[in-house]
Amino acid sequence: MTETAQVRPVRPAPDSLTSFFWDGARERRLLIQKCASCGRFQHPPEPVCHHCLSFDLGAGEVSGRGTIYSFEIATQAFHPWFADKIPFVIAVVELAEQPGLKLITNIVEADLAAIEIGDEVQVTWHQLDDEFTLPVFRPVGG
Amino acid sequence: MSGKQRVAIVGVGYSTVGRNTGLSLDTLTAQASIAAMDDAGVTPRDIDGVVVHSFPHQYVSSTHTAAMLGIPDLAFYSSSVDGAAYAVAALHGIAAVASGSSDMCLTLRTVHRAGAAGGTALMGGGENAGVGGQFQFGMPYGSFTGAHFAGLYMQRHMAQYGTKEEDFGAFAVAQREYALRNPAESFFHEPLTIEEYMNSRYIAKPLHLLDCDYPVDSSSALIFTTEERARDLKQKAVFFDAWAMGTTAEADFSLVEDMTHSSPFMAARRMWSKTDLTPSDVGVAGLYDGFSFIALQWLEALGFCGEGESGPFAAAGNTRADGIIPTNTDGGACNVGRRHGANFFIEVTRQLRGTAGDRALPRKPAAGVVSNAVGGFAACALITAD
Repeated sequence: MTETAQVRPVRPAPDSLTSFFWDGARERRLLIQKCASCGRFQHPPEPVCHHCLSFDLGAGEVSGRGTIYSFEIATQAFHPWFADKIPFVIAVVELAEQPGLKLITNIVEADLAAIEIGDEVQVTWHQLDDEFTLPVFRPVGG
Repeated sequence: MSGKQRVAIVGVGYSTVGRNTGLSLDTLTAQASIAAMDDAGVTPRDIDGVVVHSFPHQYVSSTHTAAMLGIPDLAFYSSSVDGAAYAVAALHGIAAVASGSSDMCLTLRTVHRAGAAGGTALMGGGENAGVGGQFQFGMPYGSFTGAHFAGLYMQRHMAQYGTKEEDFGAFAVAQREYALRNPAESFFHEPLTIEEYMNSRYIAKPLHLLDCDYPVDSSSALIFTTEERARDLKQKAVFFDAWAMGTTAEADFSLVEDMTHSSPFMAARRMWSKTDLTPSDVGVAGLYDGFSFIALQWLEALGFCGEGESGPFAAAGNTRADGIIPTNTDGGACNVGRRHGANFFIEVTRQLRGTAGDRALPRKPAAGVVSNAVGGFAACALITAD
């Protein structure tokens, strides 16, 4: 493949607020921002806790268990990287640790026709390139 | 009535609108402004307020707009890049006139076709630079654009209430019926069948292509003024009765707490608390249809049908001209193109003041409702004929 024909993935651009998430993912640990003051998780990371307004925020490892809040089957690639990936599943997963704690992700290793809202899922890992690993989810028992 | 001054809509106008007009954002903005001033019978020297809403990457400021038009001095100006489309400009303009900050306010929404494609347009810095901010938690997964929250919202409604894809399709079919009576503005001139809707390709299943508004270059302008000044102008004035914004606690549309009860419910509840009118007083609606599910969520939020019932409600024809609430009588943005919220205000104004031509409803409405956006932020307003 020539240099011009290479299609690179869409990569995150971490900053001081978000790098813990991607550093954790590289080690296959799902880390979510956690308030050191009130103990609540929040995602995406922000400089201040929505719940208690503390700036004393860290990261907490979560189990990677959750349920599908909603999903869709992407059938159009909005970036060249996804041209050979469609159809694939974009989902919002609600993590087990806290009601309403949700993230955008992909569902992998699943029968596209069988996925339902409420399905239990477990984190797994998709290595995007040398630098980044994406937390994605697969059906429990799937 | 919420403000100190009653606020009238006295002029409406559009720019040249097309898939690729070749016209700059500035040119489109000036065209729409001049069209609205002509409609109202006023000149730039009558206007002392300019309010715009823009995408951040397609920004035409209020003060630049005023300079282009030769407005000598602004008593009020505001340029927003955040929130519920044209309705943000409208509600700022209403607030300006109602509070006495402006006597006559020009409100604008200008958009280039590529504007809401989002995704790569928002990435900046090229693909190798990566995506920062909240987008780093969506785009690497292929969640780029409005279509990607829309599919999630539809799926959730379908799972929760048994709504069918055909129900969303019925809304699209009804909108096309209106569009056929609006040939000058609509980009579509053939009837739409439910089969054609169902056969249109998926963008993000269950979202079909024909659930999506039609991207165009456009500018839309409306002029607001006080009741006193409105009485002397060219058009029969219509009046804002109540208005409200609403948001969710979560900024990311895909991460709102409850996708089937997002910001339209907050805005609608707030708006109804400020008026004696009820949904049964409203004879025409202009409900945002960037994706068809958005209009359905507004039907529920505004109380035209019960929560969860918008699918069967639309499928039964209740948004048609002879239905319970005639909705998007210009054809909606799916047919007249993405005016990013302004067309709903303009068409409801035309219905209420009696300038809708062939689209005049069989039961002339005394009040109309308009709405913009969904998810993280929304806004709506009630407009009355007198």
